[in-house]
Amino acid sequence: MFGYVLPSGEYMSEAAKEQFQGAYCGLCHTLGHHYGLAGRMILNYDMTFLAMLLSEGQGTLCKKRCALHPIKGRCCACGEASFDTAAHCSIVLTWWQLQDGIADHGFFGGLKCRFAALFLRRPYQKARKLVPDFDRKTKAQLEALASLEAEKCASIDAVADTFAQLLAGAAMEVEGETHRRVLSQLFYHLGRWIYLIDAADDLEKDFRSGSYNPLLYRFHLQTGTLTDEARQELSHTLDSSIRSMAAAFELWNFGAYHAVIESTVYHGLYAVGTSVLQGTFRRRRRSLRKKEKQPYA
Amino acid sequence: MRDPYQVLGVSPTASDDEIKKAYRDLARKYHPDNYHDNPLADLAQERMKEINEAYEAVQSQRKRGSAASSTASGYARNPYGGSYGGSYGGGYSGPFARVRMAIQQGNLNLAEELLNASPNHNAEWNFLKGVICTRRGWADEAIRYYQTAVRLDPNDEEYRRALDMAEGRSATYRPSGFESFSTGACHAAPCLPLCFCFPFCC
Repeated sequence: MFGYVLPSGEYMSEAAKEQFQGAYCGLCHTLGHHYGLAGRMILNYDMTFLAMLLSEGQGTLCKKRCALHPIKGRCCACGEASFDTAAHCSIVLTWWQLQDGIADHGFFGGLKCRFAALFLRRPYQKARKLVPDFDRKTKAQLEALASLEAEKCASIDAVADTFAQLLAGAAMEVEGETHRRVLSQLFYHLGRWIYLIDAADDLEKDFRSGSYNPLLYRFHLQTGTLTDEARQELSHTLDSSIRSMAAAFELWNFGAYHAVIESTVYHGLYAVGTSVLQGTFRRRRRSLRKKEKQPYA
Repeated sequence: MRDPYQVLGVSPTASDDEIKKAYRDLARKYHPDNYHDNPLADLAQERMKEINEAYEAVQSQRKRGSAASSTASGYARNPYGGSYGGSYGGGYSGPFARVRMAIQQGNLNLAEELLNASPNHNAEWNFLKGVICTRRGWADEAIRYYQTAVRLDPNDEEYRRALDMAEGRSATYRPSGFESFSTGACHAAPCLPLCFCFPFCC
């Protein structure tokens, strides 16, 4: 479900790119430190973004080595307490999504999720004790989401609201009223955007398999693709969430991560959204994976 | 009070023009239009107040400094003023006065209850439903209510403006260097992956 939140390479300076890479590797190391290899496997861009938003933005980088970069190492964000919170929340989130995947699919369809859950059981048991409120809220919101899905809800706002509320729950982990309010608004719209973009991305697959997808009901689709009119309406609502994120972003100082987040909320999300609505996002990602694998083949 | 130069993000040695530019940029950023029916509007308003005060303080400091040039160009006080709360507060009448009051006070549940109890689903009813949805971040339904309101009463300025804003037709702030983007009309490729473990993680 994850991996959509990308900053814009075009609109980032070299220093900002370094900060982003530092946050990515920093979170990977934090996950590894608390949860071992299984923890590292859940890392993705959305969680990196979550970590940067929760962060105080010190931006201290230090060199660390890992299995994938054993010789040269990579610059990693270090000494950020918020990365621990982000790591705990990520584990909880991934766990409940796997549970959701197991419930959604049949025995064989859910095997992949069951297999992954096997490795995450211990990390989850540790994480739920560290962020108990977030764990409770995530469980409750995903249950609400499942019941809306079961009744084939046609309101994309209502369905996306459950996931948005869930992510907004992560804002409760920070101190200070203003900080919490700004982050809660940012996370709400981030969650809303992720849910909707994921629905758009899965539309064809869901249509073919007969699974529930809110866009099928909202736009009364007879095929697995959006009509031009539907695409326009969906982009209005996606844009609205991105604008709300940008408005909230301007009310808080994100320190070292300012430029990365700025390029995400003023360009990156629009670019990813366009790519998903055109149906080129998955294709591009697949071709990138191929390219990445080559040197190691 | 914080150092006014710090608030404006300029150095004390900056020229008058640089200060004016910094002030204008900040004022555009926290403009009420960017926070229309936004739950964080009060924070933006506070920020705007701080910026206005800082700008005035710098202006008067500099005026005193160069007392000889008596005709210092006085920048109109708060040119970007305006209301953050929309026009829901204050003395209004009409059948939905209580609904507007509840929205103004941030009591969205009460406002919604009052609206749902009303049998008269006219243009204003649809507009106010839209406002409640906007405040909650439910943009899809908000746009549909606003569209109905505009269809029922095409001449009303307030409804039309709300629809324009919801559909992103009004100019919103963006930092210098960024163009105005929208989903579906943005041609750049998303950023490349960073790490080899990407294929395993997603």
